[in-house]
Amino acid sequence: MGKVKKYRAKVEVRLKSGYLDPEGESAKKALIDLKYPVGRVSTAKVYEIEFAASGLRKAWMVVEEMCKKLLANPVKDDYSFEVEEIR
Amino acid sequence: MVKICVIRVGGTNCDEETKRALDELGAVCEVIHFKKIVKGKKKLSSYDALIIPGGFSFGDHVRAGAILGKEMKYVLSKELKRFVEEGRPILGICNGFQVLVEADLLPGFGGGIPQAALAINDSARFECRWVYLRVESGGKCIFTRGLKKGEVVSMPVAHAEGKFVFPKGKEEEYLKKLVGGDQLVFRYCNDRGEPARRKYPENPNGSFYDIAGICDPTGMIFGMMPHPERAAFGIQLHNWTEMEDIPEYGDGMSIFRSLMEYLGCGG
Amino acid sequence: MRSVYERKPLPFELFEVNLLEASEEQLMRISEEMGLALSLKEMKWCKRYFSEKGRNPTDVELQTIGQTWSEHCFHKTFKGITLMDGRRIRLFRDYIARVTEELSPNWCISVFKDNAGIVEFENGYAIAVKVETHNHPSAIEPFGGAATGVGGVIRDILGVWAKPIANLDVLGFGPLNFPYEDLPPGIKHPKYIFRGVVAGIGAYGNNMGIPTVAGAIHFDESYVGNPVVYCGCVGLLPVSSYVKSTRPGDLAVLVGGRTGRDGIHGVTFASLELGEESEEVSRPAVQIPDPIEEEKLRRAILRVRDKKLASGITDLGGGGISCACGEMAREANCGIEVELDRVPLKYSDMRPWEIWISESQERMFLSVPESNVGEVIDIFEEEDVEATPIGKFVEGGALKVFFRSWKVGELDLKFLFSPPVVRRKAKWQLPALREPRFKERDVEKTLLELLASPNVASKEEIIRTYDHEVQGNTVLKPLHGRYGGPSDAAVIRPLSNSWKGVVISCGLKPRYGKIDPYWMAASSIEEAIRNNVAVGGRRIALLDNFVWGNPEREEQLGSLVRACRACYDFAKIFETPFISGKDSLYNESPLGPVTPTLLITAVGVVPDVRKIVSVEFKRAGDPVYVLGRTYPELGGSEYYSLLGLVGRSVPRVHPSKAKASMDSLMRAIEYGIVKACHDVSDGGLGVALAEMVLSGDLGVDVDLREVPTSGIGGRRDFIMFSESNSRFVVEVRPGSEEEFESIVKADYALVGAVTRRRALVIREKEKILVDLSSGKMREAWKIRYG
Repeated sequence: MGKVKKYRAKVEVRLKSGYLDPEGESAKKALIDLKYPVGRVSTAKVYEIEFAASGLRKAWMVVEEMCKKLLANPVKDDYSFEVEEIR
Repeated sequence: MVKICVIRVGGTNCDEETKRALDELGAVCEVIHFKKIVKGKKKLSSYDALIIPGGFSFGDHVRAGAILGKEMKYVLSKELKRFVEEGRPILGICNGFQVLVEADLLPGFGGGIPQAALAINDSARFECRWVYLRVESGGKCIFTRGLKKGEVVSMPVAHAEGKFVFPKGKEEEYLKKLVGGDQLVFRYCNDRGEPARRKYPENPNGSFYDIAGICDPTGMIFGMMPHPERAAFGIQLHNWTEMEDIPEYGDGMSIFRSLMEYLGCGG
Repeated sequence: MRSVYERKPLPFELFEVNLLEASEEQLMRISEEMGLALSLKEMKWCKRYFSEKGRNPTDVELQTIGQTWSEHCFHKTFKGITLMDGRRIRLFRDYIARVTEELSPNWCISVFKDNAGIVEFENGYAIAVKVETHNHPSAIEPFGGAATGVGGVIRDILGVWAKPIANLDVLGFGPLNFPYEDLPPGIKHPKYIFRGVVAGIGAYGNNMGIPTVAGAIHFDESYVGNPVVYCGCVGLLPVSSYVKSTRPGDLAVLVGGRTGRDGIHGVTFASLELGEESEEVSRPAVQIPDPIEEEKLRRAILRVRDKKLASGITDLGGGGISCACGEMAREANCGIEVELDRVPLKYSDMRPWEIWISESQERMFLSVPESNVGEVIDIFEEEDVEATPIGKFVEGGALKVFFRSWKVGELDLKFLFSPPVVRRKAKWQLPALREPRFKERDVEKTLLELLASPNVASKEEIIRTYDHEVQGNTVLKPLHGRYGGPSDAAVIRPLSNSWKGVVISCGLKPRYGKIDPYWMAASSIEEAIRNNVAVGGRRIALLDNFVWGNPEREEQLGSLVRACRACYDFAKIFETPFISGKDSLYNESPLGPVTPTLLITAVGVVPDVRKIVSVEFKRAGDPVYVLGRTYPELGGSEYYSLLGLVGRSVPRVHPSKAKASMDSLMRAIEYGIVKACHDVSDGGLGVALAEMVLSGDLGVDVDLREVPTSGIGGRRDFIMFSESNSRFVVEVRPGSEEEFESIVKADYALVGAVTRRRALVIREKEKILVDLSSGKMREAWKIRYG
């Protein structure tokens, strides 16, 4: 306890289902042009964040907060993340 | 003397033309870097109104308007609250509208969580085109008091992320609230004033209910995607060459004129 | 013998290159291995220089020479000697610069010398213009390549202390329906390149808040392996701010983004042909764009300008710090000492030569009197931009480079800027082309097909992704009016206390170059001027931008000579000086060279923007005239191309007639009797009339027999689709017909009248040849490019 460790979070932000993903749609069109018969294409944004925290539980809470405060807009975005300790 | 602050950060780029329109109406308009306000080198309280102009604040990284919006929400919240309470209006144009939504100042239903978003256009492209807007405001929004409800005005849009959305499942509830509170200000429409019904290109981005501009419950904070500063003067209109006489002003000027009148400097 | 490269015993990586003992073969190997792209003659020139100095060069020194002498930086071909038809020609001096010298207009402030051409404007303000190419980077990474092309040309404008007020972009791609199977390995599909380039241009200009107001897009098979990306920028500056007074003692201040490995060897590889290996080998040569950094940079630079804190400025483009230092010191007639370890880096492990030649974007270079440096750094800090003094201008004529106090390079500027003169042979002959014979086609059907052909069709889908309204000064928009009419030129009104406007237009006729580059160049010049005059422009300055194949091939160089010769002949006749230009040579791929392509950009002024003329018809009943004569000139036309033909009857420019046509129109517009005007170009008279109709809410009814023609023998399709130069369609104010006719000193005819019915009607007396509603034409014309 009390010792600060380093963590790396990988946060993925994507559009909630039900919202049109125009970037995914235009990538889909382009892929079909390239003769790949693809189905649904969706896009997501990935952030890799390195930071320090006092423990894994705390690290999770911090990342959750980052997502809510800035990285995702809960109106249209879903987010998920992983946190790992780094040396 | 009316003093207006036009805020800028890296990536802001419609500050000059916004200032030009206000200068024309006799305002004293200063373009101030956001940093100066955060650091206390300039005081918000020394201005009568605040404008967040168009552009790509902080490169629109994360989401359009998100970084400046969150900085306003978490760093300047007290000052902004007091600013509005003291009867000083805030206008967000294009990127400024995105900022106000990200800052939870619009639609301002309360509760501390975002209630709307400006998503990527349905066309997945940046769209620079002139659109028609129907005035929906019954008079609450102080920025459109010079316009009559039902009137049709024309201005250009220029954005890639302007599709107004409410949370899924809450659309009808929030729309009711918006309309009931006289917060719906502009809707995209055709040249006859009929709603665009999400039809492209009349509705250039796919906005829910053709929403182009809304105000907060007090009518003091207003955000719109179209650019009134690019339709402030007759010579800026896209079809002025077809007109017998070039008008001195365009429809956009009415937004700034309404603001000046509210601040007691009309005429 | 010692090895060719010997690492010096230093705490960082620095190589001495054993030039003095190198054989010819080894010299060439060094050039290749170090990516210098220098010829044997040039390598021997270096060897002699270092022999005289009695020492071998370092890698830093050879890289400096490689960069400075590159085709991209030094324009060896245009400055060199070309032998053709028994004549010794210097392309730049004998053709391009000569026009301007002979005309020597007093309104030109700076031509050819600086980062951009500068001409007078109004109230103590001047206009700066520059057009660049970014073809190779765009072929490899379309988005980044095009975006950094825009970023680079904007810095050229900042590099003459001007505020960017408009961008223009002219693009050439392979046909978007080109079969995937036919693509050689390593070449990307035109559609992929097209999407990336358009997105890159939009992203940079939009993010910086500079309206993209003019341009063109042309599709041609020869661009499949080598797209063409011209990026232009127009700026506004107070003449008194144009400061160039760098002197010894001033500090050299590097400002903007950090330096990384981006673009290393971007310059030298631009002088090599694109091949299968290009993709992998060249990847690190591509630069990464960050428009927001440049937006901040612009704010800071304009503040430094307005406070007059700096003595000089230049942009960092090809060759990075190495070229900027050398050029600035040479221009100031002094020397410079640079401490490379002071350059802020993206990665700490960069070698000295990499820092020295890196082409990281969004950086500029200032010379600042020592007493002002503090204030300059403060301004940059306020805008969140790094500013770092990295050296000092000194007496003498040497360029000295230090790294951690070690001298890693020293070159005499005089040597550095006098590379051996390139001598090349050139030849040219008219290609064996024949004029096709075929029966007259149905003109109505053909017109609809032409309206929908990619080179003629509306570029709305692309143009609307560019912000052309930001800054609020775009008075005549690229898509004007509610239907997005195709304006002949864009007009910007940059000063709110004056009605004077800047008129920007282009001329581009790549198809004609397949027949004769001379007439291609003549037509490009004529078209650029014609477009400018059509909206009311005058006092026109020109920019030339050549995109050609490998000049080491005699026939490529020969066709370049012909184009340059036309530049002299016609710019002289029209009294339009060249003020700036750039050439991009070696545009070849496994599919062959690009078709000779010359972009002419015309920048004029209009005394009162309220009097400019747009294309849409204005009022029913108004008389409609055709100005200029139509000849059977269909070689290289859109009509022939539609039929898969080239032909040989390329449109010519008849000097006195062309000038009469332009002068007449200019006067008529000045008298305020022209209500609408459109130049006749791609697709001929038929397309010009159609565009005037579909741009507005009116129609026109025209009798084809009235159109002035010569030698056409009644071929209706030829009258409608010939692309003869020097023609306009003009709507004249009713009641002013007589005045108009008395002003016009060129061939003209009253051909019809504007109608209330929204349709294009073309007839021969009673016989209707074309009857198309504007809706139907618009539908055909507004195609999707995808």
